[in-house]
Amino acid sequence: MAAVELVNVDKRFGGHQVIAKLNLDIADGEFAVLVGPSGCGKSTTLQMVAGLESISGGQLLIGGRDVTDLPPKDRDISMVFQSYALFPHMTVRDNIAYGLKLRKVPKDDIARQVGEVAQRLQIDKFLDRLPKALSGGQRQRVALARAVVRRPGVFLMDEPLSNLDAKLRVEARSFLVKMHHELRTTTIYVTHDQAEAMTMGSKVVVMNEGVIQQAAAPLTVYNAPVNRFVAGFIGSPAMNFIELDYADGHVIDIGCKIRLAVPEPARAALDRRAPSRVVMGVRPEHIHAVARGEHSPAASETRWTVDVTQHLGHGTLLDIRTGPHHAVARAGADDDSRDGEERSFSIDMDKVHFFDVTSGANLILNS
Amino acid sequence: MTELSMRRPASRSVRIWHLLPKISGTVFALLIAVVWLGPILLMVMTSIKSNADFLAGPFSLPTSPTFKPYVDVWSGLGFDHLLWNSLVYASLGSALAVLLGLVPAFALARFPVPGKKLIFGVLLTGLMLPQQTVLIPLYDTLRAMHLLDTRIGLIIVHGVYGMPMQVLALRAFMTTIPREIEKAAHLEGASDWQVFWQMILPLSLPGILVGYTLNFIAIWKEFVFGLVFLNSEANFPLTVGMLKLNSDRYISVFNLPAAGLVISQIPIAILFLLMYRKLSGGNFVGAVKG
Repeated sequence: MAAVELVNVDKRFGGHQVIAKLNLDIADGEFAVLVGPSGCGKSTTLQMVAGLESISGGQLLIGGRDVTDLPPKDRDISMVFQSYALFPHMTVRDNIAYGLKLRKVPKDDIARQVGEVAQRLQIDKFLDRLPKALSGGQRQRVALARAVVRRPGVFLMDEPLSNLDAKLRVEARSFLVKMHHELRTTTIYVTHDQAEAMTMGSKVVVMNEGVIQQAAAPLTVYNAPVNRFVAGFIGSPAMNFIELDYADGHVIDIGCKIRLAVPEPARAALDRRAPSRVVMGVRPEHIHAVARGEHSPAASETRWTVDVTQHLGHGTLLDIRTGPHHAVARAGADDDSRDGEERSFSIDMDKVHFFDVTSGANLILNS
Repeated sequence: MTELSMRRPASRSVRIWHLLPKISGTVFALLIAVVWLGPILLMVMTSIKSNADFLAGPFSLPTSPTFKPYVDVWSGLGFDHLLWNSLVYASLGSALAVLLGLVPAFALARFPVPGKKLIFGVLLTGLMLPQQTVLIPLYDTLRAMHLLDTRIGLIIVHGVYGMPMQVLALRAFMTTIPREIEKAAHLEGASDWQVFWQMILPLSLPGILVGYTLNFIAIWKEFVFGLVFLNSEANFPLTVGMLKLNSDRYISVFNLPAAGLVISQIPIAILFLLMYRKLSGGNFVGAVKG
């Protein structure tokens, strides 16, 4: 096991800078998930840690050792690729044993270690098959076995579940987490799927345009996003953003009859900055349909028109709008809203976030 | 009912119109096949006729098929020796061409080689050069190396002459090998040489077989190098040895040259049938994606 530290890491392709001054500490035994949209630099970062891409500037430390210029084989790492990258001309057994053979591990030890790992990953029945005779899920487990068997200091995983179907992906997700609990090996996992990031990582690193936006525990990223990008990227359905005026401790849109009181301590933080307009971020689960004929006790009620109702079985998503504002609300499974109906919704003002209109920074966290 | 009966002829004509390109394509392919197969069929038919039978009807079916022409031409030309020589030149010359082509192909496929375009230009030029233009320099080189009229000399010539095509073909094949396989091997601890030897080479096997087979056929059919660089009958390949069929002894017999030509083509046909399955792809199945 080993900690991973990236210090002021740059990556340039020709004259084009894709990663700029990236700093990241991943503790020994931590499961860090790099998440972000396509082209955000997460895979490039992983490839630099792996040694498959050179580092243009800065330093990479694994287990306190500077490995910036070392080849992949000297970094004490192993990697699971999105495409599995199994050796198609070798049996499952030879695929798993390949790294051990190169390290001249005695044959008996190789056989024992391969057997143990194969049993743990439930691929011991397929050891003499070629990869082409395996299903997607089995191939993925062979790739994992090949990564695990050498007991490296760091596991690198580049979207290893993205080729699996939805059901298998959920199974594989919990399997990987269980495996991490057993082995406690430092893991860096790249995905564009925020659900994977939230459920698997002990640390979620949200990236955009080659810059780390936030690196924190999953719930911290969810409940206290540092900026509008993180708030919008993490969570499904995404957070709703409503641009409103701010005055006298209230967010206001007179035309839409919105006047919502901002509670403390958010109000104090906003008053210190005194913005005239703010972007209010509300998660769908914090917008509640008020029962017909009732009023919510707090002054947080507004009238919205229901555009579309989406019944999910375990709940209902309501696409709602008022004036220029659109939002998604998460209601109960028994919600009886009708398309086109106008009804009252209340907002948990204790749970909302306020972002700067231009920079997108969280005005409460950064005050 | 009326509607249906009215529609039927229209739909049939539409169907025929729809099938017309397919039908005309098939007819065209059959015509091409006849053009290609006709001479081969004629050659085989002639080879199992007596000469009198052939003169009586060159295009008719054999009245009393005989394999005597095969026996006669085999002993008359010493076919066992010629076949052996051609086998040696084709198999070893092709092996040399592939060996010479493998490492440059890997380098051009995977590494940022300086002057890559120039190298490609040179290789393409090597492919386009007519044999006749290199005869004199090659002759001089072989003479300087005391390799004229030797088997090893002709093998080297075939190997070097076939190398550019091998480099281009193998390079094209190697670029189709998923890069992740190499990356994974590097991560497992393999050096560049181990990646080449343990990954690229076995995965390039279909490409190597294609290149080898094509080169083998080219050398088997080759005539000019054998004619110019060899003098001793003992070293002659099949193509040069069969020149004897132009001599007075055979000029008025038609079945013996036909039998000789059939014999000369059999090894190529066997090689193709043996390689056919291996030449079809599917080597990377299971390597990447689910």
